[in-house]
Amino acid sequence: MSNPAVIPIHAYLIVSTLLFAIGVLAVLTRRNAIAVLMGIELMLNAANINFVVFWRYGGADKMEGLVFAVTVIALAAAEAAIALAIILSVYRRFKTVNVDQINLMRG
Amino acid sequence: MIASLWQAVWHSFLSGSFWYPLAFVCFALGTLIPAALVALSRNIVHAALWLLPCLVSVAGLYLLLGAELLAAIQILVYCGGIVVLILFAIMLTHGVGDPDVRVHNQQLLWGVVAAMGVAGLILRLLTQEAWQVAASPPPADVTGRLADALMGPYLLAFEVVSVILLAALIGAIVIARGESPAQEPQGPFGHAQGRPAGSEGKE
Amino acid sequence: MLEVLLYHPNSYLFLIPGLPLLAFLVIAGFYLRPERERIAPAFLILALCGSLALSVRALLAVAHGELTAPVSFEWLWVGRARLEIGCLADGLSSIMLVVVSVVSLLVQIYSIGYMKGEIGYGRYFAYMSLFSGSMLGLVISDNLLQTYIFWELVGICSYLLIGFWYRRPSAAAAAKKAFVVTRFGDLGFMIAIILIFSQKWWTFGFQQMAGLAASGRIPTEVGTVLALLIFCGAAGKSAQFPLHIWLPDAMEGPTPVSALIHAATMVAAGVYLVARCHFLFALSPVALFVVALVGALTLFLAATMGVAENDIKRVMAYSTISQLGYMMMALGVGGYAAGVFHLTTHAFFKALLFLTAGSVIHALHTNDMWKMGGLGKRMPITSITCLIGALALAGIFPLSGFWSKDEILSAAWFSDLPGHWVFFGLALATVFLTAFYMFRLWFVTFTGEPRSEEAGRGHESPWVMAGPLVVLAALAVVAGGLKYVVPGAGVGFGELLAGGRGEEHVSHVAVVLSILAALAGIGLAWGAYRAKLVSSAAFNRRFPAVHALLKNAWYFNRGWELFATRVVIAGSAIAAWFDRHVVNGMVDGVAWLSGWASRRLRLAETGQVQFYALVLVAAVVAGLLAVFVRDTSVIELFLVRR
Repeated sequence: MSNPAVIPIHAYLIVSTLLFAIGVLAVLTRRNAIAVLMGIELMLNAANINFVVFWRYGGADKMEGLVFAVTVIALAAAEAAIALAIILSVYRRFKTVNVDQINLMRG
Repeated sequence: MIASLWQAVWHSFLSGSFWYPLAFVCFALGTLIPAALVALSRNIVHAALWLLPCLVSVAGLYLLLGAELLAAIQILVYCGGIVVLILFAIMLTHGVGDPDVRVHNQQLLWGVVAAMGVAGLILRLLTQEAWQVAASPPPADVTGRLADALMGPYLLAFEVVSVILLAALIGAIVIARGESPAQEPQGPFGHAQGRPAGSEGKE
Repeated sequence: MLEVLLYHPNSYLFLIPGLPLLAFLVIAGFYLRPERERIAPAFLILALCGSLALSVRALLAVAHGELTAPVSFEWLWVGRARLEIGCLADGLSSIMLVVVSVVSLLVQIYSIGYMKGEIGYGRYFAYMSLFSGSMLGLVISDNLLQTYIFWELVGICSYLLIGFWYRRPSAAAAAKKAFVVTRFGDLGFMIAIILIFSQKWWTFGFQQMAGLAASGRIPTEVGTVLALLIFCGAAGKSAQFPLHIWLPDAMEGPTPVSALIHAATMVAAGVYLVARCHFLFALSPVALFVVALVGALTLFLAATMGVAENDIKRVMAYSTISQLGYMMMALGVGGYAAGVFHLTTHAFFKALLFLTAGSVIHALHTNDMWKMGGLGKRMPITSITCLIGALALAGIFPLSGFWSKDEILSAAWFSDLPGHWVFFGLALATVFLTAFYMFRLWFVTFTGEPRSEEAGRGHESPWVMAGPLVVLAALAVVAGGLKYVVPGAGVGFGELLAGGRGEEHVSHVAVVLSILAALAGIGLAWGAYRAKLVSSAAFNRRFPAVHALLKNAWYFNRGWELFATRVVIAGSAIAAWFDRHVVNGMVDGVAWLSGWASRRLRLAETGQVQFYALVLVAAVVAGLLAVFVRDTSVIELFLVRR
């Protein structure tokens, strides 16, 4: 569908990079643990975009890129499930989901 | 480089293949602006909800790139599964009257600097590269070939992923199950009971 | 090793030290219990008879020119250096082997009677057999390292035997003193060995090193240093000034021990070592002068100390020191054969003298000569043999001591060492002193009236003790003849020793002077102690300083004590401070540094996950900056092989 001559590859790469940066921002600065998780999801999506872009602009005849992308989505789902389970457990123990209030490993 | 982008847009407008760039711009903005709102929203529920248009736009980008099956999977799994899961978690953990309602932690400044640094440097490096793009026609029968790949050479990866999902399923249940009510610690908030977090689930 | 032992025609040499060592193992292994002790000496006597027979055979073989090369086998290779175990039988060692074997045998026979009834009878013979084996091994060694090993062994045996009656505090202290003082000298010996190794000659063998010296490959400075260091070791073992202080105290041991070890054999090891390493000393006039000087000082000072002693064994101990000084001086002034000859004759008559003293002590249970008197009537054999020994010591013609002492005096007279006439003068004066103190002892002990009731107990010793006395007395009389002919060898002592070197001159002036000096000494002793013409008490009143000086042995013991407490302990205090503060400080410093660093690093562990994530991202940014600064294409950086 997308002719390489129409939309240059740099366009897609800029999008994915900016998305990644926003994800980093969310991970580093949000207090709520679930918001941190959302930032992680943003980063995963940015990487996935890169995979698909390079698959398409690299010839689209070898399927490895897409296989990778599918796998990433599946793993992201598994990871999100576990992460949320952990957050629930932590919430039960510390009565908070603010990441900066949990520092038992200090020192 | 911005000049070439603008050139491409103008050329496509002039040449008639206008819709593709337009769709691209819509999806791109639809990804980035909700993403920014996810990172900056004060209300956690709003943040989760802004995740939805973001991920849908990403699916749109996949469509533009010719990976239809992937776009479908993205919507089903990410938007339909993960966002819902996040909302559930928000509901289950919300409600604590936290007097301190700051959205961002104390390293906001450095976080911004780091994110900008990452973005800037990667951008610079990526765009000064002359990517050797293969001039290829639009791909044919992507879904079929993807299916062949997953059931063929990458069958092991496929099966392993399914095992991982099973493990994640069981693990999430075990971790989130918690202890029987009699064993739950009744200590004050944040005070060390001598037991590290996450050990409630007895395995 | 086995090929050498089994098939070499001269491998019997290994049995010479081997038999007594085997006896040691047997006695120590099985015969130390009181009920089985009585036959312990039999093994040693048998072993020594065997050693004596083999030594005589070796001597005859050397005399007929059959034994020229050492019998050795390889023990270790250290880099390019070849360490061997071997036996060298040449003139010097074969003579010493015979002397040591003979004296050892006679002393052990004597010991059977002397030590009868003592607790530790078996232990005594075990130690004695270890000593005999070690001494023979020392003499027969063909290389310096092996000599050092046996050197240390005889040192240990000396310690064990001096402290034989270890429950007596004075004996234990004397043993310790002997060991420590000789250790002091042995340090020089060890440094010499290390230096030899560093010279890259790749061998310690005497014949090889002598060859190197003869071909001029050893620089004079090296030779001097090595000779002086080896002399340190020799001075310790042979009780030369100033390391002589242990020998008088060593008289705490049983008298046969004093006779064998501290008169005839072990103390002679130092002289033997200097003679063995003569090729090194010959390279260095400085070293020879030092040896002669030390020897001369020793002989004179020791004789002066002997004059003031009242314990008969201690008189003989100082006499031994003095005579060893004679031997060293002889080696220094160039009388190589004279020194070794005197070693031989001295072994006989000094052992004799000690055994007679033992005879007296065994009967009277006291060492103090002023409690004796008139023993000549009650102990005739002892008295006459002691007289013979005393005459030999004094150097009266025609006894053996005369010949050897005269050779030494002649060597001093004709030597071309600077100041040799001073040495001659000291030696001559000491002849007078030697005769004086020895006959003082003899007159006081054996003539006159008994001075105490212990003297009344005097009785002659049994034949097992008196027999060796007679044999040794005979040897003391005739050994002088060895100078002209060694039985079985057909040549004189000098030729046998040097393998055919020319005869040395004899100075007739020296001969006459020495006889006169000896007679003068005997006369003075007779006058003072027999005929009461001269009073020693009056002399002591007139010259109190001299009397004090002699009585306190020139305060050498006090001097060493001051050195040990002031200098050595002060040095140790400095070393201890260094160890505690610098060495320990470094170790503690490392620990402190760890603690300090960890306290600082701990601050990085905030416990905040997002902080860690920030650090991670910062690291990635830094990495990217590095690529960016290098202005490299990312693809080139990672995908192109360089």
